[in-house]
Amino acid sequence: MTKFHVCAAADLPSGEAKRIESEPAVSVFHVGGEYFALADLCTHGDASMADGYIEDDCTVECPLHAARFCLRTGKALSQPAYIDLATYPVSIEDGEIYVTVESAA
Amino acid sequence: MDDDQIRSLVDSRNGTVKPAIYSDAQLYELELERVFGRTWLFLAHESQIPKPGDFFNTFMGEDPVLVVRQKDGSVQVMMNQCRHRGMKLCHADSGNTKAFTCPYHGWAYQVDGALQSVPLEKEAYRGKLDKSKWGLIKAPRVESYKGLIFANWDESAPDLVTYLGDMAWYLDGFLDRREGGTEVVGGVHKWMIDCNWKFAAEQFCSDQYHAPYTHASAIQVLAPTPQNKPDGSPLGDGQTERPAWANGLGGVQFAGKGHGSAFFFTENADANVWVGGEVSAYFRETYPEAEARLGKVRALRLAGHNTMFPTLSWLNGTQTLRVWHPRGPGRIEVWVFCIADKAAPPEVKEALKKSHARAFGPAGFLEQDDSENWIEVQKVLRGHKARQTDFCMQMGLGFEERREDGIPGITNGTFAETAARGFYQRWVDLMTGKSWNEIEAAGAAWEQEVIDA
Repeated sequence: MTKFHVCAAADLPSGEAKRIESEPAVSVFHVGGEYFALADLCTHGDASMADGYIEDDCTVECPLHAARFCLRTGKALSQPAYIDLATYPVSIEDGEIYVTVESAA
Repeated sequence: MDDDQIRSLVDSRNGTVKPAIYSDAQLYELELERVFGRTWLFLAHESQIPKPGDFFNTFMGEDPVLVVRQKDGSVQVMMNQCRHRGMKLCHADSGNTKAFTCPYHGWAYQVDGALQSVPLEKEAYRGKLDKSKWGLIKAPRVESYKGLIFANWDESAPDLVTYLGDMAWYLDGFLDRREGGTEVVGGVHKWMIDCNWKFAAEQFCSDQYHAPYTHASAIQVLAPTPQNKPDGSPLGDGQTERPAWANGLGGVQFAGKGHGSAFFFTENADANVWVGGEVSAYFRETYPEAEARLGKVRALRLAGHNTMFPTLSWLNGTQTLRVWHPRGPGRIEVWVFCIADKAAPPEVKEALKKSHARAFGPAGFLEQDDSENWIEVQKVLRGHKARQTDFCMQMGLGFEERREDGIPGITNGTFAETAARGFYQRWVDLMTGKSWNEIEAAGAAWEQEVIDA
């Protein structure tokens, strides 16, 4: 278990995401005051979900092949993805965002 | 068709052309390679793709290309064609993207054209596909000139400024009136006309002659009047009543390297009679700045026509800029942009947009007149006998000169076909020339011969 500092909450506006170079890479998303952390690599292809299109219904769409995932649960919501994205706990401490990643190694 | 046969179609020394150049399918195929495959082609205005990932979807001849702003601010031009089965990658007119994904099998490319992701790469290609070899095909030459982005497939072509030659002087008068340059206002109007691309390009290059008669009714309807508009400044408010050609002050036609331009001298900073009052007032108010930047002749020039060979045309004053994308020997796709000084106030840009659409939009008064002529000529050329008939292109033949007042290039009076003869001479030189050195030398020889005659 490793706890990563992401950035100051003020530096991640709603509708944006930030990728953490953990192993595996994780991305933290901000939607309307809520923060979510998911595995960054799309389960369908070689795409960074941090580059995806974040929608108001708390989903993210892969920038390459339009697979959609739920930001709350990581669930794969549409073709061509079948496999869910892993989710990770996020915390805000003194205005700073942290994510805890269970290393695969 | 061999080179001698192609040369026999155009006699620029005696002012004749054979209409096969407008109708022959075999010549058209050669044009795609020898004209559109090696000239500088206008693609987009810088203002249309300001941010990284912004793209504009257009064509070089018949080849679909994407003009894409890169992360480092540079612009790259790449074929809009997937390397797997050739599917058109991107179908949006313009926009912003993180990647271009093919709708067919899903090959996905980065905005710099590199192949990023191939679906089922491990299972289907067994890890054997070298993705670094399958990026999008890029135009090797991309250059901007005062906001206009051009590309060229030919690595041996002269640079853009050399290619423009004296035409740059005339283009500057359109793009450089005010500090900050220009931008495109509004969207891009696109429509089809059933005519050969050379009818449209040549008319904007060389033909002032059609205007007083072809456009007689439009000019009548759009004449300045204080009554016809209750809100805002009436059409043509404060402008000289007569069109420029009726003022008797003379004018100039320019020809060089296949490009052409013409305008009339005037004493007033007027656009033509067909712009809104807000626009004509703007031109009068900003005249001192334009004069300081361009000198009197070009600052006063707010009318007249221009073509940069082969297919970029524009009109000063109504601020229309258009590309005649070829679509076979008998059809063009017209793409029209309205160009404004970036520094113009928003209400002037709005008025200009309306003035532009009124005169040269798809239903524009003057646009309709022109299209009708080109379509009817093309229809006549379906006839066997019609295609054997020489066309007369002798207007002003032998009256060419080089001026001593700073207006550059080979010139003639406004009503002349010097620029048309230069346009078709450049066309022949490109269609038969083996190298750019040969093409440039042939063009220079023609210009010398014209002056010596």
